[in-house]
Amino acid sequence: MSAQPAYEPIIGRYVTIEVQGRSYRVFVEEAGQGQPVICFHTAGADSRQWRHIMNDAELTANYRFIAPDMPWHGKSLPPEGFEEEEYLLTTEVYVETVLKLVEALALENPIYAGCSMGGRIALQLALNNPEPFKGFIAIEASDFQPAWYDIDWFHRPDAHGGEMGAALVSANIAPQGPKAERWNTQWMFMQSGPGVFRGDLNFYTKDDSLVGKLGGIDTSEKPVHIMVGTYDMTCTPEDAKRTADQIPGATLAVMEGIGHFPMSENPATFRPHFVEALAKMG
Amino acid sequence: MTHDLRVRFEDMGRKLAEKPHLKRLGALFSETVLIEIDGNEYYLAFHRGDLERVTEGPSRQTPWRFAIRTDAEALDKFWQPIPEPSFHDIFGFVKTGRGRIEGDILVLVKNLRFFKEFMALGRPEEAAA
Repeated sequence: MSAQPAYEPIIGRYVTIEVQGRSYRVFVEEAGQGQPVICFHTAGADSRQWRHIMNDAELTANYRFIAPDMPWHGKSLPPEGFEEEEYLLTTEVYVETVLKLVEALALENPIYAGCSMGGRIALQLALNNPEPFKGFIAIEASDFQPAWYDIDWFHRPDAHGGEMGAALVSANIAPQGPKAERWNTQWMFMQSGPGVFRGDLNFYTKDDSLVGKLGGIDTSEKPVHIMVGTYDMTCTPEDAKRTADQIPGATLAVMEGIGHFPMSENPATFRPHFVEALAKMG
Repeated sequence: MTHDLRVRFEDMGRKLAEKPHLKRLGALFSETVLIEIDGNEYYLAFHRGDLERVTEGPSRQTPWRFAIRTDAEALDKFWQPIPEPSFHDIFGFVKTGRGRIEGDILVLVKNLRFFKEFMALGRPEEAAA
């Protein structure tokens, strides 16, 4: 028998999509077979946040996880002309990016799972564009979070925005997680492109378009499950509960000993909560 | 209590000197930081990442770059091996209304990892990182 390469089961590929008339080459990781689950990362990071779930053989036996790097993030390139552009993510661009990816990847009835800004978009999709999806897992998600920091700190010519961003977001990481994973979580922020974390936060901390509208989400056929960690200072358990309470039929899980990056900072603690979330999607 | 805290900050300074990575991260940090606990002032003078001296107040003449003001109970919770939510990070003091961070915040943010890891040196050794 010939030797086999010791690869992890995750594979990475590229797809090009058009969003608001601009072309984006997007990197997508994938693992597993069965029910598709499209997984979105937080602000200032990339699809590596999902790698523990995607390397979980029990989960990938029945679920096909697809985790893109949003444009400007990870291995996805920014659009042509980025060098003279101020990156400012908007709800419209984010929503269209998700929908175009679902279409380009030919995903049928995928579960949507997203964390932080990815969780916010879960709620936007559940309200305005639920059709392509089976259900929504909104992690560290709320209707609106104004900044408790100055987002301009993270894009300056005289300092490293990534290092400052990582040091800030460490406030949202629980001390119970394995040290290596707490630091791997911060590494992604240290690596993010100049101005990208700031541009993501521009969307996350300023777009209040969901406020007062969550009651319009219909969970009768497309479940919405919200998850929140007790150490999340950006989207606190109170923020998540306020959000869940406004969505008829939505469910909420409060995760002890975990922060704003559950799947990345503490995979073992996150796993049973995520298994429960997947089960709620039907 | 006030004397005990000064000794504790000085002990943290000794631990800081034993951390090569903090020496590297703090290489450009030469500032005085005011830490005020229940109204008692401690001026921590750093030079190139070393804690050179801790001076007790009150003082209206000691210039400082930024200040952290909180209470002894909050600081004690912050220094637990596994702090409870909101007491696990200096920004938790602000977010929960248990303290204030004032002054030149940008200097703090530019040196945020260094300063957070310095403050965490008050925890038992195995929990500091």
